[in-house]
Amino acid sequence: MAAQTCVDVRNEWDIVSARQLGRDLSKELGFSSVDQARITTAISELARNIYLYAGKGKVCIEPVKDVNRSGLQIIASDTGPGIQDIRKVMQDGFTTSGGLGAGLPGVKRLMDEFSINSSVDIGTEILITKWLR
Amino acid sequence: MNSTAFQVIKHNRLSIIERWQEEMSNFQEGERELTHVTREVFLNANTEFIDKLMAQVTNDHETISPELKDFFERTIQIGWPLNYITQGLQTFLRVTLQVIMDQDFDKEEAFKIYDLLDRSIDGLFNEIVQYTTHTWKNTISVQKMALLELSAPLIPVFEHITVMPLIGTIDTERAKWIMENLLEGAIKHRSQVVLIDITGVPIVDTMVAHHIIQAAEAVRLIGAKCILVGIRPEIAQTIVNLGIDLSEFPTRSNLLKGIEAALELTNKKIETLS
Amino acid sequence: MRIPILKLHEYLLISIQMELDDMTALQFQEDLLNKIHDTGARGVVIDLTSVDMVDSFIAKVLGDVVKMSNLMGAKVVMTGIQPPVAITLIDLGIVMRDVPTALDLEQGLDKLQQELEV
Repeated sequence: MAAQTCVDVRNEWDIVSARQLGRDLSKELGFSSVDQARITTAISELARNIYLYAGKGKVCIEPVKDVNRSGLQIIASDTGPGIQDIRKVMQDGFTTSGGLGAGLPGVKRLMDEFSINSSVDIGTEILITKWLR
Repeated sequence: MNSTAFQVIKHNRLSIIERWQEEMSNFQEGERELTHVTREVFLNANTEFIDKLMAQVTNDHETISPELKDFFERTIQIGWPLNYITQGLQTFLRVTLQVIMDQDFDKEEAFKIYDLLDRSIDGLFNEIVQYTTHTWKNTISVQKMALLELSAPLIPVFEHITVMPLIGTIDTERAKWIMENLLEGAIKHRSQVVLIDITGVPIVDTMVAHHIIQAAEAVRLIGAKCILVGIRPEIAQTIVNLGIDLSEFPTRSNLLKGIEAALELTNKKIETLS
Repeated sequence: MRIPILKLHEYLLISIQMELDDMTALQFQEDLLNKIHDTGARGVVIDLTSVDMVDSFIAKVLGDVVKMSNLMGAKVVMTGIQPPVAITLIDLGIVMRDVPTALDLEQGLDKLQQELEV
């Protein structure tokens, strides 16, 4: 169970596969139905970002353990154009796709931990974690 | 334990017990938890304690005997203070040391005996500390759950009308719990209107208001209406002074007014029979 | 995959029972608008009881379809949004304030009836 599972994201259907994987794993780990929805939604948002902005990348999901808690960690990575101004994309309401602009700040609110690493022309990696309550 | 130590303790068994009993008989005074325990019960407990402790030490077990463990657990469970047990163990160590010193051992030998005894009592200390912390941890987590459950009850008052009275400070963890309870309950009772009563919330700052607004938005998403009631004058003042916008939600000053509004929304009203 | 749209008198009823991928969601938007045009329906109930996840894209498609239907003269009520879905939408910062909601299909139809009578 400790193994990492990945889904390649190249088209819209891969978004569905990625969130299906998150749904299954979060259920298996015993997350509440609300947290299952949070995790699945966060994965969906990240996978869609990859598809929309980078074209291709992958979403990897794995169970993690801390000193006194366990949880689920998701890494979404791509080799796309990268993000110019991280501060800007972390503002509520910022959007370049004509979407709702819920994007990354929304993902951050859904999860317990959020970190982002991006270099222009090299790619973006976003790491999010949800701990079992 | 080496045989010399063994022999000394066995040989002086009675005088150790006697001295221990004498010292421990004073323990009851000044212990609040023991004021309602009769002298007889207390002295009986002492006798049981020293007998089982003595059996434990002289039998030279590696681990705590079931009898002594049982005595410790019972004592804690009936609410006697933990330091009754720790004091008892320390007193045992002290009086035994006195007895050892009264013998004609050379320094090294005496120290060896004491060291062995100390180690064996140490094990008992560990055992009792582990047991009590475990019990306390359990109690705390059970109480925490109970507190959370108590903190957000949902009360159906009329068909399709439900009230959630909030009492006490609202932090983020509680807010999450309140929201989940509120939504699950609203669906379970098929509530069209949910009244959130904040009469018992002492301080409404931006954070608390934010949590309440989010709960109200979520209630609207699942298909019910939210009315905020129990807005005291000082809370109305803070809300406006902080620039918090509650205009999207109906509010009422008290629960009674809120219920009247809720009845109106569900096409009902209360009439006096002539 | 297409989401079935049922007609009941002057209403259209939709119960979404499948995992909504982007294409299905957009196809549904188109199908519903065509159906409103063909039938002249005045009210639409979209039931989300079986939907366990709505991300920002699906929320946008659903929000848009409500506005588009309104433009075509059909009122839309969304019903059966589950607590986990409501909570994640709030976390995302999506409140869908212009979308009328009801607890279930029955109350959704009642709500439509009331609004259309006025």
